This record gives sequence, structure tokens and C-alpha cells, in this order.
Amino acid sequence: MAVKFFGQYLVENNLVSREVLLKAIELQDQKNLKLGEMALSMGYLTDKDIERAHNAQMSKDMKLGDLLVDMGILTLAQLDDVITRQKNTHLYIGEALVQVGAITTDQLLQHLKAFKADQAQYASEKIELPITIANSSIWEMTADLTYKMVTRVLDLQFRPGKCEVITAPCTGYVMAAMDFSGDVEARYIISVSAPLQKEVAKAILREKNVDTEPVEVLDDTVMEFVNIICGNVAAKASQLGTIMEINPPVTIKPTDAGLAVPDGHTGLSFPIHIGDGETMELILFIKN
Amino acid sequence: MKKVLVVDDSLSVARQLEKIIAESGDFTCVGHAKDGAEAIKMNHTENPDIICMDMNMPGMDGLTALRSLVVLDKDVKVVMVTSLGGVGDKFTEALKLGAKNVISKPFESETVLQILRQL
Repeated sequence: MAVKFFGQYLVENNLVSREVLLKAIELQDQKNLKLGEMALSMGYLTDKDIERAHNAQMSKDMKLGDLLVDMGILTLAQLDDVITRQKNTHLYIGEALVQVGAITTDQLLQHLKAFKADQAQYASEKIELPITIANSSIWEMTADLTYKMVTRVLDLQFRPGKCEVITAPCTGYVMAAMDFSGDVEARYIISVSAPLQKEVAKAILREKNVDTEPVEVLDDTVMEFVNIICGNVAAKASQLGTIMEINPPVTIKPTDAGLAVPDGHTGLSFPIHIGDGETMELILFIKN
Repeated sequence: MKKVLVVDDSLSVARQLEKIIAESGDFTCVGHAKDGAEAIKMNHTENPDIICMDMNMPGMDGLTALRSLVVLDKDVKVVMVTSLGGVGDKFTEALKLGAKNVISKPFESETVLQILRQL
């Protein structure tokens, strides 16, 4: 029911054992050369060049490839060559499992077909953002996956509202937030009304009635909903080649003045209209 | 009946897992630790057969705790429960550190029990 990668799907469904998967991953680790190793094997640089670049990385927040170009060790054309060779020779986990004798090629094709069907529910759909912004495809995917989780986790019918740039402080009964770091930096927030918080709690706790639950538990359920969405966003982003780390969620109780967009950030609001006039809101504070 | 320790900073996830475990008939929940450090202590005091542990927790996180648990107790069986299960690197790291399996959130009761019964 979650965004998965193929190896996880196989182990979870008992199609291969953990031990066999680890063996295949070990084979991948041997065969899939890292960027520096590949450039070395292609004769574009020396061990000393890699050492120099690794040392420089300690003081410069740059990817190794960009740094090698920046330091004049590789040309841009050579870097492209290395990346292309990495892609063309990449051993995927399914192929690695065939090579270690865990499954046959026919079984691989069958499992891949079933895996694609399992994951089809998480295929991204296009969402219109009101402005041009860096990494827009990641934020579109984030909103799309949020909508999908409203259906899959909360089992609520909804209508997505128009995404808008936030120009005034955000208000709401309770908000749960999670910070993304890594290749992109942003704060992900879900804002809910009191009645919607109870709907979230019912779904997360799998209880029909949550009227006697303490506030602490109700707040925790919204944080858990955010945790589920953001973890799956990070998984989807990793499939798209973007690293998104997540941190533990927090609860925010906005004051009457509301929650302002932090300096140096762009705020996007995605209203999610649910049932009889209730609106949940996805808010993204994206670092510029 | 096998004893299960639940490790999660989230009260609601702990409640979900405890309910699934209690209703299974095969397992009994022996406690709830809120972070990795507490999990290590409770593994010593409660001696569970299986630990279901979150990956992303404040204080000592799940992977750090897993690293210690497998050194301190060679028989421990840890299953990670995480929303990050679909991140290939995280899944692989958990297995390499000694986790027996990884359950992704959102999870279904049957998936949790199927994985616990395999251990």
C-alpha cells in the first residue's frame, strides 16, 4: 500500500529471502561503480585526483562530479561520458537477482509486471503550480501524493482546490509539520479543522469513535499522517533521483496572528475540500 | 506465544501495532519504547522475541538502535516499521545492519502479521 522499491516488494511478498536480496545487493555494490571509480576506470583521472576532490568536498557543499569539473580535473564532456557509462552499465536489482540464481528471467518479468501493477496507484499526475519554481516536479509530486494518501489512508472523498502562492499568514485549528532536507529544503505542513482532525484520528487509529481520545493522541495522529505522506514522498523522490531526508514531525498550534511564511521561502497553499464544507490545507514553505 | 516489543515515538502507531499484535492470537505485546535508547533497555528487561521499530525517531533513531541491538543481543529479531521503506538506500541499510524485514507505512494488518509469522 506504500511507495516501494522492487527489492522491498519482493522480500515483503516472500518472493525472495532477505539473505538472497542482500547477496544481490552485494553484487550490485561490486558491479555498479561510483562516479570516481568509473572515471578512474575510464582513465580520466587518478587516485590522487579523487583524494583531492574528496578533501575539497569537506569545505564545499558540491556533488563530486560538479566538484571535479570545478577543480578542472574533468571537462564537462568527460563528466557526461562518465555518467552515461554509469547509466549504461548499471546492474539493476532484478538483473542482480537473476545473476545470483535467485529467480529466472521469466520470473523477473512476472514479478516486475506485478510490481508495476502494485505501484500504479502512485503514478504521478500533473498538478499546475501558479509560479515557476525550482524543482517544481518534486512539489507537484508532493501535492499529488498528498491527494492520493487522503484517499488511501483517510478514505475521504475530496476535491483539490487551486494552488496559490501564500501572501498572508496561514490559519488553522492544528497543523502538523515535517522538514525536508537534502537536495531540496522545505517545510511540509498539513493544516486541519477540529472535525477533520477527528477524521484523521479515526483513520490512523482504526477506531470508529475518537471522542474520548486525549488531545495528545489526536495531535499525534495528524503528525503520523504527515509522516506517512512525507516518507512516501521521499521514496518517490529517490526514484526520480532526488534525495529528500525527513525529520521527525512536530505539531504547530497557530496563534490568532497565523503562521507566516519564513524569510527566504516561498509559500504554496493547496486547499483540499472535503465533504460538507470542511477544508484541509497542504502548505509548503519552500526554501528559495 | 511470541513476545513483541513496539518501538515508536508516535502514540498512534504504537496503538495500531499493539492492536494488531493483540488481536493476532499468535503474539503478545510486552511493551512500548519511545526511542532507540529505551528499546535497548527494554530488550534487556522484557527479552522480546521480536522488536518492531520505527526508523525515524527523535533521540536515538531506529537504525542507530538496530546497530547496537544486534551487537548486544545476537538472537534479537528486528523488523523496521517506517514510512521510508520505499527509499532503496534506507531499506538496504536496514537489512545490511541486521533487520529481518522492513514494513512500509501505511501498512495493513495482514502484511504486518505475515512478516512477523515468517520470523
